[in-house]
Amino acid sequence: MTERPLVRMTGIGKRFGGVQACRDIDLTISAGEVHALLGENGAGKSTLINILSGVITDYDGTIEVDGRPVSFAGPVDAQRAGIATIHQELDLVAGLSIAENMFLGREPRTRLGAVDIRRMRRQAADHLRTLGADLDPRRLVGSLRVGEQQLVEIGRALSLDARVLIMDEPTAALADAEVERLFETIAGLRRAGVGIVYISHRMAELEVIADRATVLRNGRLAGTVDPKTASRDEIIQLMVGRSVDALFGEGRNEPGEVLLDVRGFAVTPRRPTPGRTEPAGVDLTVRSGEIVGLAGLMGAGRTELLETLFGAGGSGRRTGEVAIDGRPYHPHGPRAALARGVAFVPEDRRGAGLMLEHSVAENVVLSALSSLTTLGVVRRQAVRRTVAEQLTALAVKAASPAVAAATLSGGNQQKIVFAKQLLTRPRLLLLDEPTRGVDIGAKAEIYRLLHRLADTGMAILLASSELPELLSLCDRVVVLHRGRTVATLPRASATQQAILAAANGDDAKETR
Amino acid sequence: MNPPNPTAVEEAPAETPPPRRPSLRLPRDRHALVDNFFRFQSLFGLVAVFLIAIAVSPVRNGENIFLSSGNLANIVRAVSEIGIIAVGMTFVILIGGIDLSVGAVLGLAAVGSATLMVDSGLGILPTVLIVLLIGTAFGATQGAIVARIGIQSFIVTLAGLQAARGIARMWSGGLGIPIAYGDGPQEAPEAFSLLSGSINGVLPVPAVLFIAIGIGALLLLRTTAFARHVYAIGGNEKAARLSGVPVRRVRIAVFAISGLLAALAGIIHAGQLNQGSPNDGSGYELDAIAAVVIGGTSLAGGSGSMGGTIAGALLLGILNNILALNNIDANVQLVVKGLVIVAAAALQKLRPRIS
Repeated sequence: MTERPLVRMTGIGKRFGGVQACRDIDLTISAGEVHALLGENGAGKSTLINILSGVITDYDGTIEVDGRPVSFAGPVDAQRAGIATIHQELDLVAGLSIAENMFLGREPRTRLGAVDIRRMRRQAADHLRTLGADLDPRRLVGSLRVGEQQLVEIGRALSLDARVLIMDEPTAALADAEVERLFETIAGLRRAGVGIVYISHRMAELEVIADRATVLRNGRLAGTVDPKTASRDEIIQLMVGRSVDALFGEGRNEPGEVLLDVRGFAVTPRRPTPGRTEPAGVDLTVRSGEIVGLAGLMGAGRTELLETLFGAGGSGRRTGEVAIDGRPYHPHGPRAALARGVAFVPEDRRGAGLMLEHSVAENVVLSALSSLTTLGVVRRQAVRRTVAEQLTALAVKAASPAVAAATLSGGNQQKIVFAKQLLTRPRLLLLDEPTRGVDIGAKAEIYRLLHRLADTGMAILLASSELPELLSLCDRVVVLHRGRTVATLPRASATQQAILAAANGDDAKETR
Repeated sequence: MNPPNPTAVEEAPAETPPPRRPSLRLPRDRHALVDNFFRFQSLFGLVAVFLIAIAVSPVRNGENIFLSSGNLANIVRAVSEIGIIAVGMTFVILIGGIDLSVGAVLGLAAVGSATLMVDSGLGILPTVLIVLLIGTAFGATQGAIVARIGIQSFIVTLAGLQAARGIARMWSGGLGIPIAYGDGPQEAPEAFSLLSGSINGVLPVPAVLFIAIGIGALLLLRTTAFARHVYAIGGNEKAARLSGVPVRRVRIAVFAISGLLAALAGIIHAGQLNQGSPNDGSGYELDAIAAVVIGGTSLAGGSGSMGGTIAGALLLGILNNILALNNIDANVQLVVKGLVIVAAAALQKLRPRIS
């Protein structure tokens, strides 16, 4: 690794408006190494990756490939320089075959200008063979499992003669057997001299596969370690830093009666959806006035659990018990959930929370319209008053209630989603990553709001990938692993290390 | 709460707004102007076409033919059937759907009106109620298939178009059924012919019905919770569902409304032509969609207005009328209509988007 690296990034920095996403980061990638990139959400990993793959073209610092400085005009430029990226959301066309996907946009031609299907299939088959994949290049990508689709993406990278391969959480959606297969593939690529940037939240994987690990924290370089010798605690320490955020209050009321009681709850779908982890043995309780955190890795089934509790989950046989106020609770849809006093703030604010093109006012009152109408006619006065009250109560910064929701900042958009759900007067509030993509100021406001709501006796169940958030907000943290409750940590014993250990399945080794 | 908290919170927002606030303010006022132009685009278009029509209208004995009250009344009468259908179509398009079956349902309703009165000897009221019920049920069935099975409305209503046409032909034996008026057997009640008449000899009855329904729908769309749900589903169906909007029920209702209004247009059609033919209303669905599009309603759903649709229908009527008054070939009329539709849609594309 002392020889000239394939890629050398020096002093990389990037600012988005007022936010310094990363600053002064150095990173080298050598031929035949697997270089892990670690850090919490928002630590700057994706920014760095987007710079290297040519998605972000305007940044500070320099990138050298083979010792020559480069500046990419776009992703295609980066690909031409041999840097390929495999995103978490795979960029494949489901309705085309494997071969067509691999050569999409640069199909080999015959002399007459038609697509040379034979050559395309032959070359695709060659690449698949190199990867040890036994797949017919004529098969439709839509019929492949996620792991196989990933191989197609890797095959495409090979067909581009990629020498640096960036993999963003490649194992997040994979089953165990597929993970092993992927690791074999990666080992093969490494032997062939490809440099691999590997992003993952799973500690156990790094020990197996990574040669070096670079840790980012708050947009800065926190350190580079050898994951084979460094202890997990050491790495986690680097990731989260020493100081646990003291931004948020702690004086809490005594929790009241048990409101939500979930025991041995599981959903068995008739046909499993790839990428979804349905609840598979969840135990948890939330008391009124209590904030309970839901921790777990990507794909641990947090979102699916919240959706199911809101009546918006996948279909399938329900087993186990769910009760609200001691009465069985099995909502068949969001309306039924809202009628029982359950509200939900989804993770995908733009896709599932808001009507972006519609006005702020319209968004705020949507869930509570029935209480603002007389004989089906909306009472404008009441709507105006309600909206004004809500916007003030949540300190939403909007030019007026009539502007489109899309014009607001992420934090204010999130407050609109909150306002909408709170207008239904819920007793149980389900939150999925409520502060994702929200700046620090609005984040603190949301935290204070949650405390206020809990103090009024609302029960809150909150899923988050940000451990400091869970630790500072929650009375208890429930850790999920592959859809199962693997640990319930009371505030006193909840530490980042304990949560991460449980989330990595250390207590669930017997599952595999 | 702990002391460093409030300051930290107040500082953070103070950091961001200064660059944003002025940049948001300034274009907003300009925005409001531009936005209003686009919101009432079809109204401006209507006025423009109206003025052009006055200018190019032939003049006889010093009288502007286009402006004569008889001609103006005729325009509204001519667009009344398409207009009523377009009102229903607006609801469907607002939720992001389409209803291709309306022309065929019109034909079915026309046949139904004629058969029930002439052959079955029913009175006007039972006939009208039965025909409206058939149209509503037909629409609701299509809506249920869309909502329950999740097939795109284009396909469901394309199938519905064929089915309605087929039923109409079977019912009528494939022939138009003439409506004769009188008290005897095989004769329809005289009052039905009112549909082809005028109030005070000035206001054609179909035109009055169209305007009344248009205004009713406009109020419905402006004031009711149902309308908010319609817009919400078109804007973001998933968010609407998670917000507790009864998505399926609203879907079914919207298609039922479209079927109901198509059936009403069919009754008017039968009254105006004094017959019910199974082939009536062919292609009306496309004219109705054109009126909605010219009215500025987005085919993607979620945005649009009933006022726009009414203006769009009238605009098409004036266009046809003035071209006909100037003895311009009917085929040229088609081309002009096509150009107007494209122009209206292109204008919508220019509308400033907030992203």
